[in-house]
Amino acid sequence: MDSAFIRNFSIIAHIDHGKSTLADRLLEATGALSQREMMEQVLDSMDLERERGITIKAHAVRLNYRASDGETYQLNLIDTPGHVDFSYEVSRSLQACEGALLVVDASQGVEAQTLANAYLALHHDLEIIPVINKIDLPAADPERIRAQIEQVVGLDASDAILVSAKQGVGVQDVLEAVVHLVPPPKGSPESPLRALVFDSWFDPYRGVITLLRVVDGTLRTGQKIRLWSNGKSFEVEGLGYQSPKAIPAEQLSAGEVGYMFANIKTVSDAQIGDTVTDDAKPAAQPLPGFEQIKPMVFAGLYPVESHEHGVLREALEKLRLNDSAFSFEPESSAALGFGFRCGFLGLLHLEIVQERLEREFQIDLITTAPGVRYRVVLRDGDVMEVDSPTKFPDPAKIDKIEEPIIEATVITREEFLGEILKLLDEKRGVQKKFEHIGSDRVLLAYEIPLNEVVLDFYDRLKSASRGYASLDYHLAGYRESPMVKLDVLVAGEPVDALSIIVHKDFAHERGKALIERLRKLIPRQMFEVALQAAIGNKVVARENIPAIRKNVIAKCYGGDITRKRKLLEKQKEGKRRMKRVGRVEIPQEAFLAVLRVGGNQT
Amino acid sequence: MAGVYVSYPFCDQKCTYCNFASGVPSAGLESEYINAVTAEIAAHRWQWSPETVYFGGGTPSRASIRQLNRLLDAIPGRPWKEATIEVAPGTVTPGNAQAWKGAGITRASLGVQSFVSRELVRTGRKHTSETVARDVEQLREAGIDHINIDLIAGLPFQNEASWRESLHWVGRLEVGHVSVYMLEVDAGSRLGLEILKGGARYGARDIPDDDCIASFYQEAVEYLHRIGLRRYEISNFARPGFESCHNLKYWRLEPYIGFGADAHSFDGKTRRRNVESAGEYVDRFRRGMDPCASETPAELAEERFFVGLRLEEGIRPAAPELVRFADPIRRFLEDGLLVMEGGLLRLTNRGVLLSNEVFQEFLT
Repeated sequence: MDSAFIRNFSIIAHIDHGKSTLADRLLEATGALSQREMMEQVLDSMDLERERGITIKAHAVRLNYRASDGETYQLNLIDTPGHVDFSYEVSRSLQACEGALLVVDASQGVEAQTLANAYLALHHDLEIIPVINKIDLPAADPERIRAQIEQVVGLDASDAILVSAKQGVGVQDVLEAVVHLVPPPKGSPESPLRALVFDSWFDPYRGVITLLRVVDGTLRTGQKIRLWSNGKSFEVEGLGYQSPKAIPAEQLSAGEVGYMFANIKTVSDAQIGDTVTDDAKPAAQPLPGFEQIKPMVFAGLYPVESHEHGVLREALEKLRLNDSAFSFEPESSAALGFGFRCGFLGLLHLEIVQERLEREFQIDLITTAPGVRYRVVLRDGDVMEVDSPTKFPDPAKIDKIEEPIIEATVITREEFLGEILKLLDEKRGVQKKFEHIGSDRVLLAYEIPLNEVVLDFYDRLKSASRGYASLDYHLAGYRESPMVKLDVLVAGEPVDALSIIVHKDFAHERGKALIERLRKLIPRQMFEVALQAAIGNKVVARENIPAIRKNVIAKCYGGDITRKRKLLEKQKEGKRRMKRVGRVEIPQEAFLAVLRVGGNQT
Repeated sequence: MAGVYVSYPFCDQKCTYCNFASGVPSAGLESEYINAVTAEIAAHRWQWSPETVYFGGGTPSRASIRQLNRLLDAIPGRPWKEATIEVAPGTVTPGNAQAWKGAGITRASLGVQSFVSRELVRTGRKHTSETVARDVEQLREAGIDHINIDLIAGLPFQNEASWRESLHWVGRLEVGHVSVYMLEVDAGSRLGLEILKGGARYGARDIPDDDCIASFYQEAVEYLHRIGLRRYEISNFARPGFESCHNLKYWRLEPYIGFGADAHSFDGKTRRRNVESAGEYVDRFRRGMDPCASETPAELAEERFFVGLRLEEGIRPAAPELVRFADPIRRFLEDGLLVMEGGLLRLTNRGVLLSNEVFQEFLT
């Protein structure tokens, strides 16, 4: 197809500003799906995505649109993940486009993700078309939002399109704007092949399926291709595009977007951001911007039933076929037995993996408190990367510790500012920007240790702002911090899975809060149990769980022995689900207690 | 020798702490039920002549003398070594008591629960301590002198002083047998459900905590011992010779057969349970169906421990059992929850209160 009639674009928005609904309308308006066929929010296809209302994987749908100029255009709508954990994937999706629709809610206005996504799009030189959505809502104030987009994002919003995706208002205007404002792709079908992988997933029948944007040259079935980053070559078995059903095609040429399968066995062989080129006549340069995605958040995953260790390993291997962004390596804990230290892009990513393991593989899991990867410089000059408290070196050998820092953008209403500033301060944040937006809102930029964010930041921010604060962040480097390892001793025995790495100044307070929480979570045992929090040999907090005094069935049941047995079996089953450390039975929730000890929450 | 249990699952009102399948009968149900149970007993082919009979409930003492006679007449073996009727305080009259005696009843078990009005009122009970004293007197006059009093530790508003008052009443009445139960908190009773939900009805927020209940129990053990009633099972205390022969069969794994709704049977190999509700029981009878709802093979190797160890006399483990359970036995001996003397294994005082912890380890 002549690339003059191709338009590649994305929709970017803050969560719940109506991205998916608008996408559905565009599909409907171009006849890609009849209304009857239309399931709500077609593009969010994974169950989890639907439930959470967040797009986790990218998708690309080809729409054929007959514009008012009488020409028929091929519009490729590339959907992007909608969460900060997946910002690298968003950036690759945007790289596959020439334009983006920036959707802003007509009453809520610019939020943190609006800003982050808009900057990302500007960074990729995309033509950004502001769209003000939900104009049907009673609280809609498009003029105020138009001004806000100009002031906060710095875009000319005078031609912003007013839309109600829900009612189908303005959809035609959006399609016309895409045709007339988004530039056609450059690139020549005759140049050596270069195609950008912007998503890949594992299909049990076809192997890995990749979504590609052909930048230069032409991709054909049967062609021998090569992945740039690893040099591996494969033969193209099938090509096509989503409309949104998969339609096979013989070739994809410069400017076009589609899918490819080439008997690739694992997604880590076709990573997002990689360049596909011809094996015989490779291009001179890869496409820019490829990075190995690095996990930022780490947690131990342990099977509740220790014999399920092998099952968990298989499940993790299977999940990794489909998700090269998480990592895992064997780890063992004296308290929890054999498990895996897993790395994730962020907390949502962790939750997704955890839920898929429990849902798709029916494995009961204990997840230890998430942490980050520290850079520890030892006195002898060696540098260690520490992603687990158990690997924390002897403090006597440590010269300095650096922790990952993020730059967070928070947009909120003025009335919640006090609480939020207090929270950011408590989270060791350093203010970088304080800016009023419009009459009653404030934009804050802060540098915060990632460690503080993974603890309980989202929940606290949400409650501090009653939901009226939006957050976006990106990694901003490392900063030296006096971190220490806080151990928990139960009945005198250290429980490695309960150790955390904390800032020295917070160790005492966190230790105390943690012990108090554990006292409530660990049931009384047949003997008194001492709980201690300690840094090295120094005990910073202590509590006792008194011994249980009675656990007895004192009742006569006309010979109902079966009932007695059932009661005993139920108790026994309850214990079996706990982890035994020394002689103390510790329930699973205790291992997550560490999560909830930040600040003054109970 | 075996025992017979007959279930009468009807009451004048449902007590707040009660988690049995019993309640106030609808019109007509009661007489149909008696017909059905009589028929179930009559149809039974006796392999042995029963030694004990237990007429339990519910409130069997509210059954008419005619109904009682119909049921008991169907059971062979009269005069039985022991025949117990469960009695709600206030349902004894001189006429009743004599009729019971005449029907072969030798023992009465009074569901007193408490002698303290403040506690009784909240549970839905209407009697007073005087009612109980009069009942005991009338039973004795009729010649029924094996008398048990049930007490519950853990009722709303109970405290150390009120618990002692109930215990002292038992001493004053000089009954030969006392059962001390502890309030069970589960969704089966209104009070239990309210406690689980965190509500305030039925005095749910005024129940003593577990540690208090443990102290109440401990006090009962000591007090009853002082007045000559020794513990022979976790919740049963008797003057020597006044133990319940029927209940002992449960704990010694001897056979018994139950008739009526929610009645349980054990023939030495299999445990059976009849359908729980009186309505369904009657319905099955009408359709000519077996009232048995479930049948499971007994697991005697384990039951010997978690049932037999309830008895103060303990059990005498055989060599293979000592091997099979070597681990928990050693651990509990070390912890002082079990004691072994002359080949007899039994719970210690502390072991009784933590007996569930012990018993669990004998389930495999």
